[in-house]
Amino acid sequence: MTAAPRPALGGTGSPGAGDGAPAAPLPRVLWRALTLSARRTAGDAGQLALNAAFYVLVTTVLAQLWKAAAASLGGEIVGYTAVALVWYIAATEMAVNSIPIHLIPEIGDDITTRRIEVELLRPTSVMAVRVAHTVGRVLPRLALLTVIGVPLAWALGGAPPRPITLLLLLPSLVLAMTLNVVLQHAFAALSFWFGEAKSGWFLFQKLVFVGGGMLLPLEVLPQGVAGVARYLPFAAVAYAPGRLSSGHVEPWWLAVQAGWLVVVGGLTAALFTGGLAHMQRQGA
Amino acid sequence: MAALQVWWMTWRTAWLAAVANRRGFVTQITIMIVNDVVWVLFWVLVFSRVDEIRGWRLGDVIVLFAVLTTSAGVVLGALHNSRQIADYVLSGKLDALLNLPGPTLPHLLLRRVETLFIGDAIFGVLLFVLLGDPSPGRFAVFAFGVVCAVVIQVGFLVAAGSSAFFIRQQEPGEMGLHSILLFSSYPVDVFGGATKFLLYVVVPAGFVSSVPARLIDDFDLRWAAATVAVAATVALVGRQVFQLGLRRYTSGSSWV
Repeated sequence: MTAAPRPALGGTGSPGAGDGAPAAPLPRVLWRALTLSARRTAGDAGQLALNAAFYVLVTTVLAQLWKAAAASLGGEIVGYTAVALVWYIAATEMAVNSIPIHLIPEIGDDITTRRIEVELLRPTSVMAVRVAHTVGRVLPRLALLTVIGVPLAWALGGAPPRPITLLLLLPSLVLAMTLNVVLQHAFAALSFWFGEAKSGWFLFQKLVFVGGGMLLPLEVLPQGVAGVARYLPFAAVAYAPGRLSSGHVEPWWLAVQAGWLVVVGGLTAALFTGGLAHMQRQGA
Repeated sequence: MAALQVWWMTWRTAWLAAVANRRGFVTQITIMIVNDVVWVLFWVLVFSRVDEIRGWRLGDVIVLFAVLTTSAGVVLGALHNSRQIADYVLSGKLDALLNLPGPTLPHLLLRRVETLFIGDAIFGVLLFVLLGDPSPGRFAVFAFGVVCAVVIQVGFLVAAGSSAFFIRQQEPGEMGLHSILLFSSYPVDVFGGATKFLLYVVVPAGFVSSVPARLIDDFDLRWAAATVAVAATVALVGRQVFQLGLRRYTSGSSWV
């Protein structure tokens, strides 16, 4: 009996490299992973309710804060009116709060305990399947937060500054969420070498909270810092949907987000391939 | 007396376990301090654009944040299981504590120390000492505020987590934690009308950070007494809900 070719290190073996039975093509595997986890999340009403309640709390609190700040300056701060700020916060919170908060530690845990090794048995990319699975897990949450977020922002702030930008908001949210998931995989992959993911998790959160504009528009940062922050992928995760939602007709943010998705996707794939190879070299 | 000794031994063991890995202990504390510095940076950035928000200036918010991080650090670090009650109830881990002498709740609360959040407590004290314009009087009120805030948070988390005894869900406990910490992170005057009322009464976040911060700047005996009364009430409610739930507890090791 001829031994079947072993999947390449990092689980990036070509489709069809399994034990006799032809493997499903990669897009179909990813689609299955995505839809299965999406269905599972959609069925978890308790977790969805918690997620929605937390979103409403955070958005309400931050919207009140920024409205109060804008009011103390006569109704406008760094070029944003109180209404624009409310819509900004509602969108950034949709994009970021849809992601499970402990995603990086969860992936890091799978890496440090070597549970991830089992996934090498699949003749597909470990990282791609994981990302597809997580995107599927997040999509129902993002849909729910969008459905809640739009009327919430309307109630807290008033009508959207430019309703047309809400059309851009939807694809921007999906791109932001996907990029966020991939970025979190990249940060978690560092635990292949460092043996823990918690530090990376805290670092990532803060980079998105402040450097990515989740808590405040980047214009609030000192000019030089804001200039740098705009060119980092974290801005594409939070600031981009916030900017569009707050009435700025800037469709190029979608291209920026897609570009970052390609770059960060490649980097994360490389980190996973290198990390899994490193793990195999270390042995049991 | 025997119960006190067991509580002390339990807590001591939890601390020894937490500091056993010296390097990990220091790393985690450092991570949390860096994390908190970013929050201070957030406030500095906000107040770089506005002088004050509804009567709160940067210095006031720094004091508020010092009270919150110190108290939350004590609650989530030294009394970590205050946020794990639902997990203990639903997984049946509570069984192991029922044979111990004395009331079960203190055993549960003192059983685990989480290093990461000890960093919050250290940061809060450092923040107050460095930027809170400390004096013996202000420090005494700071300590008073922190103690009250700890009691309120523990009582609230115990009550919220104990809902798992009745509805067998973990979510209300989680939501309780998020809501009290979130609302305590901002000056209560940022909110208006009904929300403000809720923050003094339903989720007593106003008494966790805003009232102690105001007391440090301008001590008022009536507000201090109100804070003590709220802390005592919330602690009592937490204990009662836990006790009531415990009577219904039939272990999480369900056969069905």
